Amino acid sequence: MHYTIGGHTITITGQADADLAARLPGMSVFEADGSACDEVRIMLDTDLTLPDCQWHHRFGLADDTLECRFGTDSDGVYYYAFGDRGLLRFDPRQAHTVQCSHLGDPELLRYALWTAYSMTGLHLGALPVHASTVVNSGRAVLCLGESGTGKSTHTGLWIKHIEGSYLLNDDSPIVSIKNGEAVVYGSPWSGKTPCYRSERLPIAALLRLEQRPENSIRRLKTVEAFTALQPSCPPSLAREERCLDKLVEFVSAVISNTPVYRMGCLPNADAARLSFSTLMNSHHAD
Amino acid sequence: MRINPKRKVHNVSGENIVISQIEGTADMTQVVALNESAMLLYNNLRSKDLKVDDIVQVLLDNYDIDESTAHRDAEEWVASMREQGLIID
Repeated sequence: MHYTIGGHTITITGQADADLAARLPGMSVFEADGSACDEVRIMLDTDLTLPDCQWHHRFGLADDTLECRFGTDSDGVYYYAFGDRGLLRFDPRQAHTVQCSHLGDPELLRYALWTAYSMTGLHLGALPVHASTVVNSGRAVLCLGESGTGKSTHTGLWIKHIEGSYLLNDDSPIVSIKNGEAVVYGSPWSGKTPCYRSERLPIAALLRLEQRPENSIRRLKTVEAFTALQPSCPPSLAREERCLDKLVEFVSAVISNTPVYRMGCLPNADAARLSFSTLMNSHHAD
Repeated sequence: MRINPKRKVHNVSGENIVISQIEGTADMTQVVALNESAMLLYNNLRSKDLKVDDIVQVLLDNYDIDESTAHRDAEEWVASMREQGLIID
């Protein structure tokens, strides 16, 4: 099955997991016709064995019940081990192919596809970014922040109080640089909100949110802008040297093309009006 | 002591930054920006066994300052670089 995600054609092959992938929430929105070129191939249900690895990152999935690891073998091939429930393999010398063992579980498969996209996307210059993303007048704003900061609350306030606003994606849109401009795409990964849109929009701004007793907003210079975006990119990528080099390249390209703001905010209509007037006018002020 | 060989300097739109993982926390990274004099010291002393006297010498060779100022600056630089994990024993 072919899909177009983040401006790239993804071909998903395999048996049971490929069928399962096609039935995951949102995937059908991104289906491409059979004539689409085979740009990236994600090979599910592949027989894989885990070699000796140097581990760079350990993290929990499924409410920390599944201990996962990210590492490299002696040939520099990347592996993710999802506990004892599956493996994902990515050889950066064949950056258009990701292999994954049989997983058989929709949630884990969803996560594995996101991981596969982030590995290959890192080499294509397109990455999932943890953000709630709102659109107004044909331009998108990505709200960034740690879990529980109120990203979805803030985009929700735009939709409620600012006419013409709608949600593009609530968790993991794809950010890419196209002809020197930062653009964002909807994706099949939208957290708990089923918001799947196959759209591409220019980015008006990135907005790092923090809860504060009053509303305030300011534009960030290079180093702060970097610090605002980088933690919202897939975490494992910052843990290994070659990935980090590419990640820095990506984040630098995005922030040199896009205004980045930090906002302290309350969950109220004034917060939405403040960010809207600041971000959507900045284009003209520059 | 020496400059932490695991910490690489990245250039981001003309700024020199070092990225470190904060161990023990979820997904936090720490970004330290190096100014011009920090870069000078970094580039000159990266692969050496680091001594305060060498730092003082680099500062004296490149800036119009007296020895006691250079010594004080060197000590301060070492302390702040240690705090950020960029200088290790």
